Amino acid sequence: MRIVVTGMGVISPIGSSVDQFWNSAVTGQGGIRQIACFDASGHRSRIAGEIPDFDPKSFLSGKQIEQTDRFTQLALHAAKEALNDAGDLSGYPARRLAVSLGSGMGGFSTFESSAIRKLQNKSVPPFTVPRTMANSAAAWIAAQHGLKGANLTCSTACSSAANAIGMALDLLRAGRADAVVTGGAEACVLPLTIAGFEALHALSTGFNDDPAHASRPFATGRDGFVMGEGAGILVLEKEQEAVRRGAKIYAVIAGYGGACDAAHIVAPDIDGQIAAMQAAIEDAQITPNAVDYINAHATSTPLGDVIETRAIKQLFGDHAHKLAINATKSLVGHTIGASAALGSIATIMTLNTGVIHPTINLTAADPECDLNYAPNTALHKTVRTGLCNAFGFGGNNATLVFTTPPDS
Amino acid sequence: MSTDHIEEKIIAFIASKVENVDPATIDKSSDFETLGLDSMDRVQLLFDAEETFGVTFEDEEVKNFSCVGDIVDYISKNHSAEQPPEA
Repeated sequence: MRIVVTGMGVISPIGSSVDQFWNSAVTGQGGIRQIACFDASGHRSRIAGEIPDFDPKSFLSGKQIEQTDRFTQLALHAAKEALNDAGDLSGYPARRLAVSLGSGMGGFSTFESSAIRKLQNKSVPPFTVPRTMANSAAAWIAAQHGLKGANLTCSTACSSAANAIGMALDLLRAGRADAVVTGGAEACVLPLTIAGFEALHALSTGFNDDPAHASRPFATGRDGFVMGEGAGILVLEKEQEAVRRGAKIYAVIAGYGGACDAAHIVAPDIDGQIAAMQAAIEDAQITPNAVDYINAHATSTPLGDVIETRAIKQLFGDHAHKLAINATKSLVGHTIGASAALGSIATIMTLNTGVIHPTINLTAADPECDLNYAPNTALHKTVRTGLCNAFGFGGNNATLVFTTPPDS
Repeated sequence: MSTDHIEEKIIAFIASKVENVDPATIDKSSDFETLGLDSMDRVQLLFDAEETFGVTFEDEEVKNFSCVGDIVDYISKNHSAEQPPEA
């Protein structure tokens, strides 16, 4: 039994639909700018991948906006596109329609604003808790679209969406659902999260006056990741049922692997990354040599990009140099719990178009990053099998394998 | 601050929370049940009113509120100056 992708939706700093996102990606138009949503003048990192024109009023009522955090609003926007794209799911019983969503920080914007009020001895808005809770977005997607099956939320920091999509795959394989709406959402371009990651020295601080060049995975001069926000949603179902209802099939989701470093809480570990990729490849019942493309985790931190490169080289051997690799984060920044959803959509679009979007700002590669990362210009290559990597705090590593649709 | 002004604001808050209700049909006698305000809508409405009018609703009083006029009259009796909207 194969599980396929039949719907996609995205909202990101470079586009509020899959078409916009992909057009910007293949032409190398990044979305990193100076932070506009709050006064960041007191921060060392003053840049981010914000969604500049997001207007929840365009698709939510005033009451719905009042009851939802921004991460939920982004998730709802992407879910609407994905479910519209997937077409008619009414042939499935509502109790067999599941949701599996990832978010690293959940409704942190609400948490932050309510905490400030509380510390000022002001009353706290009644929807503080239901807006903040990590499963808020999954619950709202279910409520808006009548998805009455299992409703799961996965919070594993930067690998949240990869694990959520993997859990969706498992739900379908286990026969616990007929279709799953899955992906990730994050909206934490906020004073507290920026300050928190600054304190870890994880963010870029040297490009505040040149934000377009700040997110530069694998390049010399990279000095940390750039915070981003967004949501990516996929609709997954069994291949035979998708064919029966005449759905467009974008890709097969062929494998998922997870592995924990069980070591440092934030430092990357090569063994865990290799183990996640290996497990996903084995789950897909392929060999490493069958892989054509990797959507790398590649956050633009000095250490992380080197470790991922070493992990790829160790696992794939000589084949590593034949792989096409890119970094979606060069365009949108690090969208934390949504990042693997955006990476998965980029992977699926590559399978469908034969275009590998460029890794921008890669004019001079770090000598320790010596693979083919599609620097600055899109590559054109037939890709039949692509990996999407996601490595999160907590030593949480996850990899997904996508392959071309059966008849392509 | 006039009672009319308070009533106008409260009706605007209610209109943002209910669907298919013409604000022109809402007055002080309109009861929450008929307007379709659920319990969380009412909690949010009181929060909005507290923020706008600088009042604090006491739980003992609130549980007896059943119509728009109950809120408007309470605010008329207890408000300080209208609070500026938050940024």
